[in-house]
Amino acid sequence: MKRFLISSCAIAAVTAGMAFAEPTGVFRQAHELGFGALSSLDPISKGRVFQITEKLMSRLVRPDMDGVPAPDLALSWTANADATEWTLNLRQGVKFHDGSSFGSEDVVYSLNRLLDPNSDSPARSAVKMITGVEAVDANTVKLTLNIPFADLPMQLMDYRLRMIPEGSGDTIAQTGIGTGPFKLEKFDAEGTSVLVANMDYFDGAPGVAKMEIIGIADGQARLQALLGGQIDMESGITAQQKAMFAASDKYVLQEIPTGNWRGIVMRNDVAPFTDPRVRKAVRMVADRQQMLNLVEGGSGTLACDIPVGPRDQYRADLSCPQDIEGAKALLAEAGFPNGIDMDIYVATLEQTWPMMAEVFQQQAAPAGIRVNIVQVPSDGFWSEVWMKKDVTLTRWNERPADQAMHEIYLGGAKWNESFYSDADFDAMLASARRELDFAKRKGLYVKAQEHLQETAGTLIPYHVTKLVGTTARVRNLDAVENMSIRWHLVTVD
Amino acid sequence: MLAMLLRRVLLGLITVVLVSLIIFAGVEMLPGDACTAFLEREAQGQLLENCRIDLGLNQPAFLRYLDWASGALTGDFGLSANGHKTISEMVGYRLRNTLLLASCAMLTGVPLALFLGIVAGLWRDRSPDLVVSTLAIMAMTIPEFVSATLLILIFSVWLGWVPGIVLTSASAPVSEFFPAIFLPIMVLAMVMTAHILRTVRSSVIEVMASDYAQMATLKGVPYWRVVFGHVLPNALLPTINVVALTIAWLLGGVVVIETVFNYPGLGRMMIDSISDRDLPVTQAIALIIATVYVGVNLTADMATMLANPRLRTLHTRKR
Repeated sequence: MKRFLISSCAIAAVTAGMAFAEPTGVFRQAHELGFGALSSLDPISKGRVFQITEKLMSRLVRPDMDGVPAPDLALSWTANADATEWTLNLRQGVKFHDGSSFGSEDVVYSLNRLLDPNSDSPARSAVKMITGVEAVDANTVKLTLNIPFADLPMQLMDYRLRMIPEGSGDTIAQTGIGTGPFKLEKFDAEGTSVLVANMDYFDGAPGVAKMEIIGIADGQARLQALLGGQIDMESGITAQQKAMFAASDKYVLQEIPTGNWRGIVMRNDVAPFTDPRVRKAVRMVADRQQMLNLVEGGSGTLACDIPVGPRDQYRADLSCPQDIEGAKALLAEAGFPNGIDMDIYVATLEQTWPMMAEVFQQQAAPAGIRVNIVQVPSDGFWSEVWMKKDVTLTRWNERPADQAMHEIYLGGAKWNESFYSDADFDAMLASARRELDFAKRKGLYVKAQEHLQETAGTLIPYHVTKLVGTTARVRNLDAVENMSIRWHLVTVD
Repeated sequence: MLAMLLRRVLLGLITVVLVSLIIFAGVEMLPGDACTAFLEREAQGQLLENCRIDLGLNQPAFLRYLDWASGALTGDFGLSANGHKTISEMVGYRLRNTLLLASCAMLTGVPLALFLGIVAGLWRDRSPDLVVSTLAIMAMTIPEFVSATLLILIFSVWLGWVPGIVLTSASAPVSEFFPAIFLPIMVLAMVMTAHILRTVRSSVIEVMASDYAQMATLKGVPYWRVVFGHVLPNALLPTINVVALTIAWLLGGVVVIETVFNYPGLGRMMIDSISDRDLPVTQAIALIIATVYVGVNLTADMATMLANPRLRTLHTRKR
């Protein structure tokens, strides 16, 4: 008992000490320099370096450790009875890095800038249901929607929806002024960008004094930099590289289940995939566990062709064992007793694609599905192959259930890659958005997912578990998806 | 002599123009363009259209080439396709960094190669020669990216002596590149040492076996006087050309090394600009590298001719 008391005192002292300690040390992280010379700090531009903007600027709503909406710049939110009007109460006394006060007019400006029909921002689709943004008073904002939408707060968590000072649209790409835990000292996308602790951060002063975000385009070079201790964190570790980290105490490997997925997508508007029985048969032949073991070394969460991640509160609990006989029967019923032939287009854009296609090829053969793998260049894959060829590989990053199903499956949606078109499904999504009762809403989203399992043209075998490597000196880095990490808590020894 | 010089310069210019044409056609033939590379999944419809108009990609390819070429003639490489920055400004620091890397590698590699080559040649088929030659073969055959990765593993991950990756930004002062620049220098110096020393070795052996060297030895001239007075001056002549070729290789061949080490030089910029489909930048770099190649070779030929009167007379008699 005594020992317990002493140790708890020690823990209390350490925690208290940490809370008041001056920020110390430098945390280094790399970014991929994905957009070269077009890299910018404008959170809604295509070239945004999110590894920097996520530390400089805050959102209205952020995901908590379970991915559920939690206060960021908005402290609370309420909807009217049919969920078409939302009122947000903003945090008071928050200052931007340039000393100006944050208030409702900044929210109006930031949102309107994104919603402007002339804006090219890819982030607009996340909140395009918002038609009006109005400052009720200095700390209250009212959002008007064109449809009932019960989960608007989830959309506001989008990693790009960051609040910037009113009127700063023309300069934000270089200044990066926000209300986040770190302030910009120097922006150099191709070299090293330097961020310093914002002592006035509303959630408490950060643990590290400086962050250096370094542009390293080559994945291999980023790995070398982590191994050599030149950077402290790298999130692109592959299953094959896992062993290198497990053996050493110089590094820590975080395994983070995500809603990111890779899959095989068939065009539903092209024969024979116009028949839902054929689509289902193709998906039934997959042995998902085997595929996960072979392609990802076993780390991931099995999925039954639903785009909803394992942490999502709306995820349906489905099962989908391999069923060769069932697939044969379905194919015969659809008029293909001798099976079908299909060309699958693969690029090395995503490292695991060729492996996934090959495993599927082997698994599908016993059911009479003869797969021919066509290798195409990674360059121009998204513009020349994806959504053009009948069957291609695809990949998506995590999205909230509603957004995922709208963007990928809603009839006529821009990125409806399988050209899925089902009025029943669309109606289910619409009624779910209208439903304010959580349990009922969840029931509707689950039904929509079950409908997808029955009819969709996209094989989604699993959701990927992300491997994040850090050096051993990094402490308190939340082991969650990037968009939920509380960067001000991170410390380095 | 002068007529030949002029002819060589003219041929060099034609080569450079041809290279720029081939590079332009090559990159143009790759699927996708600057807009699809940037927009990725959003490369559809109006967005794609706007982007292409913005960057002038809606014009036919040969018009864009002419446009660029006429600018380049007046020393104006134009703007980068997507960054809206002038290329001269972008290339300046990168060129300096690559030259820094290349000259450091040369300063290490060339003396080392000469020394080892002479040692291997003089002690032909004995243990110094066997060790040096085996190491040279290894250095030549192991691809640079493999030896680079091995060196990073040993010196940066295991021993922790030097940083593995260069994190310095392109425009940083030269001093900031040390010590991270050591590993790339080592890899480059290794490969070039191997190439040069093999030429030095064989030409030392050849000259040692020549009549005049043997005659000198028979007449009782001390061994080291034969070596320094007669063998080396003659043996080192052919090396000038190899050294020149290696310098040219250095400027182009650093592409792989710069990518592995994240070194902000011309090579990495070339790779980045190709994946961004940034044709003007790719062209400008190709032009620089081609010009260096042609220039260095020309200089080397001239140097050899100046040093060896026989070559000069041979050419003049032909005309």
